[in-house]
Formats: sequence, structure tokens, C-alpha cells
Amino acid sequence: MKQISVIFILLSLTLSLAAQDDLMNMLNDSTKAEINYATATFKSTRIINGHSIERMAPGQLDVRISHRFGRINTGPYEFFGLDQSNMHFSLEYGITKWLMAGIGRGSFEKTFDGFAKFSILRQSTGGREMPVSISALGSAAVTSVKWADPTRTNYFSSRLSYVGQVMIARKFSQSFSLQLTPTMVHRNLVPTELDPNDIFALGAGGRMKLTRRISLNAEYYYMLNSKQNMSEKIYDPLSLGFDIETGGHVFTLLFTNSLHMIEKGFVGQTTGSWLKGDIHFGFNISRVFTLK
Amino acid sequence: MKRRLLYLALFIAGIILVHSCFYDSEEVLYPSLGTGCDTTNVTYSGKVVPILANNCLSCHSNAMAPSAGNNIALENYSDVVARAVSVSGAINQTGSYSPMPKNGSKLSACLISTFDIWVRNGKLNN
Repeated sequence: MKQISVIFILLSLTLSLAAQDDLMNMLNDSTKAEINYATATFKSTRIINGHSIERMAPGQLDVRISHRFGRINTGPYEFFGLDQSNMHFSLEYGITKWLMAGIGRGSFEKTFDGFAKFSILRQSTGGREMPVSISALGSAAVTSVKWADPTRTNYFSSRLSYVGQVMIARKFSQSFSLQLTPTMVHRNLVPTELDPNDIFALGAGGRMKLTRRISLNAEYYYMLNSKQNMSEKIYDPLSLGFDIETGGHVFTLLFTNSLHMIEKGFVGQTTGSWLKGDIHFGFNISRVFTLK
Repeated sequence: MKRRLLYLALFIAGIILVHSCFYDSEEVLYPSLGTGCDTTNVTYSGKVVPILANNCLSCHSNAMAPSAGNNIALENYSDVVARAVSVSGAINQTGSYSPMPKNGSKLSACLISTFDIWVRNGKLNN
């Protein structure tokens, strides 16, 4: 795209010397087609737990380490949850301008996961007016925790779950961005017939810049399936956090009612309730390395 | 090198896709677990030991406890009796007990109530 606009500009310059006024105007019209893409809609590739519209630039590797501590309401003996910790780390790489992929491992159910995220539309002004950015994400997760009952016939497929997600985001101003995230999670094995294998959820997340380096993020996933008959009491995950940018790193300090750090977990497996004080303190660290 | 990585990624993706989507539930796949919870005849050797062996001993065996299980062993009867109330709190994930199993989802209601029934019945070595 860039090359084409450069050629257009050069063409218009050379031709304009010879051309008449009306022809020049015509060419000027075509050179106006410079597109300004919205950048940095969010600070990193996650809003808090869930993915944001952002991708890694090609050749950049994002090393992410995330922790969620225990519930705050376990009290001072457990040091408000800090004695327990759940972690997830991942390596995420920008392959092309529009595609990134990552692999990760989380300690909950000893889960390996992989995802690919690609850009469909980019918010822009100028030559092309586009009000929103749209990305799509597909991911799969494999649990590797030992079977609860090794004597029964266990299937490998029972360990698998899949996630499909569309992210629609708009950067309203330098300091405010909003994202809607329709999500579908498929689990191959659920405890009872009343637990849905397919979970549909609508996520919403936002970022408000407080200072040049700090922003306030919030994220909520509303589960569309009825939660009444499920074998476990499930809540919608709500997370609040601060992104702190420290030149090369992005730290996110956060509070959430979910122990999980991948979609498959926090949509449909969140058992904590904010009202009961089942709140987890946690952090994400993102460090980007340029490989090419 | 890059191409080889790509093939590896495709291979892994292929394996996962071949296994692809199922709509299973434990209730239907393993009917003996789902259809009603058998809480009659709760004995230490018959019911409690298998629950501990399948869900706890990977960290809380006599061998593993000092390193992985915070020195809490649940292999011998005497140890289980001494810890019964806190084990119940941990698997019910209530109070200030460290929720168990760590890094796993909560035990099924049937297993939890089986353990609690054994505690209520006097923690017999039967």
C-alpha cells in the first residue's frame, strides 16, 4: 500500500510540471488517499485477561508472564491469597503485518495453549474512513493434569477445548478506547449434561489513559448461556487493572474474580464472586524482543 | 529453519484438529459416576483411599509431601485422621483453608460429600 502511494506521489509530482490545472487537480485528488491508521488502541495484546485488538509487529516476540494469586478473602493467614499462585507464561510472535501466533502454558489443570490472531479491518481516517478495527482469534488448549480416575476409559479428546473470538474495537480519542468481544468457547468434555459444551459470551473492555505511562483498564465477559443449571456456580469475570508502561515492559497490576488467564478458563470456569470477596490480585508482565 | 518450525506448527495444529469437536459429558461417558452418588457404605478403604490416591497423593504422598505437599502427608490412616477437618475445608474450598486440589478444578460434589460423610461417621478405619 505504501509503495503505491509513494508511486502516486512521485507520478503526481513529475506530471504536475507538464499538466494543466484540471489534470493536476485530478492527480491531487488521488494523492490525497493517504490513510492514517489508528495505532496503540490498547497498550498490549491483552486488555486484562482477554485479548485486545493489538497484534505484535512482524518479527517481534512478546514474552508474557502472568500471575494470579489466591482469593483475598482467605485472610491474613494466607496473606490475602499471596501464598498461592497460579501462573501462565507465553511466547507470542508477529508473523506478518496482519497475523500473530503464540503458545503458552498455564498451571491451572497444567494447560498448554496456542492461538492465532489476525487482523480483518483497521480503524483509519484520511483516504479510507473506517470507524472500527476488527480482529479474529482462534485458539486451542490441551490440559495435561492427571485424570481424576485413571481406571476409567479416558480419551485424549476430553482434554481439548477451543475458542473463537471476534474483536471489534474503536479508539475514540488519545486516551479512551473500547472493545466488544463476541466469544465462543467449546469444551469437549463437561461434568454433566446440564453443563453446556458450547459457551457463548459477549466481552466488553476499555482503556482510559490516566497519565502518559499509566492507563486504567476494565474488562467484563457476559455469559449468554443460562448459568442456573450448571453443576458448579459460575460467575461472569470482571477485571480491573492498571497498565504501567516502563520502556520496553508493560506491567499490568490487576484485580479479578477469575483465576484463569486464557479464554477457555475465565469464560465459563470462573467460580469466584466479587460480592463475596473472591477477588484475586495478579499481574501480567509483557516484554517485547525484536528478533528481525 | 523457519520452514521446519512452520511444519511443526502445522503438525501440532493437525493433531489437535483431527481430534476436533466432541460433545461429551462425564455423566454420560461414565454413567457409574453420574447416576446418583452412592453415599451408602462409605468406608475408609473402599471410598476414601481411592479419592485420596486419585486426587491428592501426587503431592501429598509420604514421599512427595516434604517437597511438594507443604509437609502434609495423606497416605497413612493416622495422618488422614489428624488432618480430616482441614482436608474437608480445603476440598470444600471454604474458610481460610488453602483451596485444593491446587492447579485443578474442585472435586465433584459426590467425592466431597463422600469424604465428609466418612468424617461425620467418626473417621473409622474400615
